[in-house]
Amino acid sequence: MTPASAPLLRIAGLSAYYGELRAIYDIALEIGEGDILAVIGANGAGKSTLLKSVVGLMNRGQAAHIRGRIEFGGKRLDVLTTEQIVDAGVTLVPEGRRLFPRMTVEDNLRAGAFLPRLRAGADRRLAEVFELFPKLRDRRTQVVAQMSGGEQQMVAIGRALMSSPKLILFDELSLGLAPAVVDDIYRKVADIHARGVTCVIIEQDMKRALEVANHVCVMLEGALVLEGRPGELSEDAITAAYFGSER
Amino acid sequence: MNEELYWMFIDVANGLLSGSMLGGYYAVIAIGLALNFGVMRLVNLAHGDWLILAAYLAVAFLSMANVSPFWTLALVIPVMYVIGYLIQRLLLNRVSVQAAERKGMSPSFGLMSPLLVTFGMSIVIGQGLLAIFDSNAAAIRNDLSFAAIRLGEDLSISTLRLIFFGIALVMLAVVQTFLNTTHMGRAIRAASDDPEIAALMGMSSNKVYAVASGISLATAGVAGVMIGMSRSFQPFDGPTFLLIAFGVVILGGLGSMVGALVGGVILGIVQVLAGTYFGPSAQLVSGYILILLVLALRPQGLFSR
Repeated sequence: MTPASAPLLRIAGLSAYYGELRAIYDIALEIGEGDILAVIGANGAGKSTLLKSVVGLMNRGQAAHIRGRIEFGGKRLDVLTTEQIVDAGVTLVPEGRRLFPRMTVEDNLRAGAFLPRLRAGADRRLAEVFELFPKLRDRRTQVVAQMSGGEQQMVAIGRALMSSPKLILFDELSLGLAPAVVDDIYRKVADIHARGVTCVIIEQDMKRALEVANHVCVMLEGALVLEGRPGELSEDAITAAYFGSER
Repeated sequence: MNEELYWMFIDVANGLLSGSMLGGYYAVIAIGLALNFGVMRLVNLAHGDWLILAAYLAVAFLSMANVSPFWTLALVIPVMYVIGYLIQRLLLNRVSVQAAERKGMSPSFGLMSPLLVTFGMSIVIGQGLLAIFDSNAAAIRNDLSFAAIRLGEDLSISTLRLIFFGIALVMLAVVQTFLNTTHMGRAIRAASDDPEIAALMGMSSNKVYAVASGISLATAGVAGVMIGMSRSFQPFDGPTFLLIAFGVVILGGLGSMVGALVGGVILGIVQVLAGTYFGPSAQLVSGYILILLVLALRPQGLFSR
């Protein structure tokens, strides 16, 4: 599937390895500017590895590496370090949130604006994050380890926004959160998307993924097995691809 | 007042006062080690030798310029910062846990190799100092060595120790404020918690570690000048101070600068009181016994939750 405009992110022939073990196979994928792409698939299908590859977290010498080409706005990402990729405008909200547990809400958020080009506008972006998540403004001096999972997810998303990304990758956005909280988080993602940020979401809940996304891909055992617009793909086809059964 | 009771009071008051003053000095000796371990999980076995190197640096500076010993800090602090930054950048970052992983080696090798490297560094520094200076005891001459402030007829504190205590408070406050409020301070805390996520914040762990290591050696520079002003020293005196630093860190924990001060003060008070009641040789032994007791009964440290 080709997006209407030139793709924002183009992945070609991407394989990723942990040591000798190949975790994803020959992935080709294009994401248009302003898309919300949902990546679905069973545990171990390689969804997280795909996102980690994009932000350079698979470039770890002998421990993990990638082959293939990743371009973002025409710029090669696969040869850059994670720091440089974030500077280019791509960031990841990691699975399990991975906040800095002993820091306050505000310190976690400000950590997201470390890059020199971001420091001047950090106060303004902090205000924007507080506007999006008013709860965090009241809790700005609280240490994040004491917060609920939903609140921590807000901090993790806010922290990613502090780097003013053009593309945000959300790994397991709703995992372990109460349904009401998940509704709230998805409303925020819609807000973020409305501000012109392209989003990639890994989501276990297939129904929810299909509701929010305008572009879906299904991964199975490290390969990309199905891709399309939600309206064009039947639920049966997606389910079949998810479980790897014959259609 | 009963005379016996009076002298007991004087002994205890003296122990608490001098011990606390000594504790500030111990805290300064230890915070470099605490920073190294807290941020980079690096046990720097050469820490004591860096202290002695800084003391010699001050001696060399004073042999060229006839100024107050405190002015040597203006040279020693930046020089030690640069050494720390470069050592981390060029050497220690290459033998870290992450570096071992990149080369396909097990993380346990990554924990072991910095120990070997810093142990080797300790030998190189000691021998290097011996080659440049000599094995005769050196000292930083100053006119405060025997000065004291009288607080009562039988109670006084060393002027030098009081000044050191003041410097310690200022230094601990500066380092803590830096860690809490600056971009780089936040990056140091982030990279110590989770280097992978720190990279996602645009922080390069290798650069951040180099700055932390620079700060660590800069504090060691202050400690080295203090050591040189309060006693004579020789090229191979490093390990003695490494042990003091370990003691402070074990007692106070790695959490904060306040922890280092508290650890230092406890160690100082115990040593001075033991010296008062059991003679000078009990000073060192009492410190080690205290550390052993803490390790046996509360291995997580006195103040960790």
